[in-house]
Amino acid sequence: MNNLFIATLTSLALTLGAGTAIAKEFPERPINLVAPFNAGGGTDLLLRAFAPHFAEALGGDVFVSNMAGGSGTVAAAALAGQKADGYQLGYWSVTVATIQPQIKDIPYNVESWTPICSVAASPTVLFTQADSPFETVEDVVAAVKAEPGKYLYGSSGPGAITHLTTVAAFSGLGIIDQMKHLPFQGSGPALQAMAAGTIQFFGDTELLMASGDFRPLVVFNSERLASMPDVPTAAEVGIEAPLNELYLWGGLFAPAGVDAAITEKLSTACGTAINSDGFQEFAERTSTVLNYRNTTDFDAFFRAQYEANSALIEAAGL
Amino acid sequence: MLQSLPEAMGLIFTFEGMMVLTLGTMLGIILGALPGIGSTVAVAMILPFTLTMSQAPGILLLLAIYAGSVYGGSISAILINTPGTPQSAATCFDGYPMAQRGEAGKALGWATIASVIGGLTSAVVLIFAAPQLAAFALNFGPIETFTLILLGLTCIVSVSEGSLIKGLIAGFIGLFLSTVGGDPITGEARFTFGNFQLIAGFNLLAVVIGVFALSEVLTRAAASRDDAAPLVDFNGIVLPKLHEWKGRVKGLVKSVLIGNGIGILPGTGAATAAFISYAEARRSAPTRANFGKGEPDGLIASEAANNAVTGGALVPTMALGIPGDAITAVMLATLTLHGVTPGIRLMTENPVLMAAIFSGFFVINLMLLPLGMLVSRMAAPILRIKEAYMLVMITLLCTVGVYFVRGNPFDLLVMAIAGVIGFILRRQGYPMAPLVIGMVLGPTLEISLRQGLIITDGSFTAFFVGHPIAGVLAVAAVGMLLLPVFRALRPAKAA
Repeated sequence: MNNLFIATLTSLALTLGAGTAIAKEFPERPINLVAPFNAGGGTDLLLRAFAPHFAEALGGDVFVSNMAGGSGTVAAAALAGQKADGYQLGYWSVTVATIQPQIKDIPYNVESWTPICSVAASPTVLFTQADSPFETVEDVVAAVKAEPGKYLYGSSGPGAITHLTTVAAFSGLGIIDQMKHLPFQGSGPALQAMAAGTIQFFGDTELLMASGDFRPLVVFNSERLASMPDVPTAAEVGIEAPLNELYLWGGLFAPAGVDAAITEKLSTACGTAINSDGFQEFAERTSTVLNYRNTTDFDAFFRAQYEANSALIEAAGL
Repeated sequence: MLQSLPEAMGLIFTFEGMMVLTLGTMLGIILGALPGIGSTVAVAMILPFTLTMSQAPGILLLLAIYAGSVYGGSISAILINTPGTPQSAATCFDGYPMAQRGEAGKALGWATIASVIGGLTSAVVLIFAAPQLAAFALNFGPIETFTLILLGLTCIVSVSEGSLIKGLIAGFIGLFLSTVGGDPITGEARFTFGNFQLIAGFNLLAVVIGVFALSEVLTRAAASRDDAAPLVDFNGIVLPKLHEWKGRVKGLVKSVLIGNGIGILPGTGAATAAFISYAEARRSAPTRANFGKGEPDGLIASEAANNAVTGGALVPTMALGIPGDAITAVMLATLTLHGVTPGIRLMTENPVLMAAIFSGFFVINLMLLPLGMLVSRMAAPILRIKEAYMLVMITLLCTVGVYFVRGNPFDLLVMAIAGVIGFILRRQGYPMAPLVIGMVLGPTLEISLRQGLIITDGSFTAFFVGHPIAGVLAVAAVGMLLLPVFRALRPAKAA
């Protein structure tokens, strides 16, 4: 059927032979971290940097495998419903875990997972081109109301975090119906279009700020960012919950029903790995904003995000 | 840029630098020649190894892999009719017929020289005109892209061997296949018939390898006898002699310009460039009647253009910090990992590194010639094994290649079905090239058309008001379509 299935069958046979696995002896075999995208992408690099530190913290072996397709949903669908033994973990982003299952007919949902830990989370920011006439959010609202239908916001694709950031902004400001959405295939073409003036607005994490001449207008965080202290938060400009906070986060998930003691062990090891010098240095170099939550906190966060993002999806008309 | 060159040379012409360039280019050629492992996968595979290297050698290694793999794809396209990547698909059209005729060495010779010239000129363009060209590329919005892709689609007419109707049918099958999966504007799943796997659409590589390589294996197996001669007689590259270039230089220059031009534009890429260049050569070359039957001009058109794209694609990446495709996106990720911030200040903040990257890119393209000959010579004995074993080996390579990219077993099923359907269609006289062209260009055609309609509030006529570039391209596309009609109307004069 598929490779995960075969791997599970093999592991099942091994487990039966060795006797019942208990948390104390966990892990007895290598743990598979599934990256839902191609090798060489951002998620893949992060996982490959994370794996050795995670292995060290667990006292076992960890390897990364890739299974790409369907914006990450192919891998997530394959993992959902697998044996919940803690040996197969996926790294899902906010879109794979909370958005895709609410906009597409795919075989997993909020109940399919045992959240292990969150690894990274960056607040999103709404941008315009640095030479644009819009200095503040108020300028944008006034301009859009003066000429409805004239301004366009871009995204890297429908349902992507870049799309939801612009939706959170313009829906929260009540002007989304007077603007047009222009999706692109990836952020690169969208940013070229913004440089050319085809689109006026784009939203992504602050990591993007460094790569071009952009002007941030509003941040979707609970407080102002240290890197851009003059940019107001969404709440400050009148965007109300649940649209006022939006994060590009990612974390480890196991299929639902993992033994609590094993979950606890994985979650603790995850925290140790994130705080290790080696991984901290990787995060520094790649400007990754690390954000560790243990299994209990991550479970609550994940469920809250699932709810909050359903409001965004509705606003986006997806 | 120029004043940083001496210091940059110091970074390249070191033992480490030259080792990296030589081994990287060679590895790139080998990876590109293996079916399935395209440029993106090759670059991604090597990326982790660059992390322990210093900045310049790390980036140069990736560039060497990139340029080498684009060239390497032509080796398997010519020798076993299996494009290593979609960008080499147009190389199959004339390369494989030449190989079947016993001229494999010559075919590779033409392809190698065309590749080297395409790559070298694109490196020169990159060194001298990156910022200016990047600024020009911004004039290409969705509407211009749409008309450019229309022009690309007209090459379906020229690659339809035998029957234009059958070629068009195959082209439309390709276009229809490209609409399966997520809608690029609304995100809704289309034509999936409830099959979750189809939400992502058909994997292009799986289909390309299925209809070219696997269907070829099936065709061969159907006609195979035990005492059959080896598939292709090949003993190494035979470089074309100087006098053989007579009458071909104009086509070469045109293909290089097309490759460079298209490489700079966002969201197009090497496959589009190769197809458009091939179509243009087929329209204008004096040898056009032989195209598709093993004509060197066809090979030159495809290979010069797809290698010229490599430098062009780096223009927006390096000058604006905006990647044009998946490969350049991986390059930018590498720069980030090495502590260099990609973006519009990249060239001003790191002049020496950039000069080293650009001139290293030039050196890499120079090395394609000797290293290409070396790798092909190593491949020659493999091609002399018995046909039955060869067919098994090709099937195995295709299977591993397709599975390797995404680790998704569904892609194997797609490849197998595409192979069987391709086999049946080919037996009925349907050419496979239009199908692949339709599938490669389909997604860009659709998204640029629909983006254009969003911008113009649904008015198609508004596409040609205030968009002079789009107008010119649209006229050219119509001209390409009408050309065979004109030629057919005056057979007496042509003869």
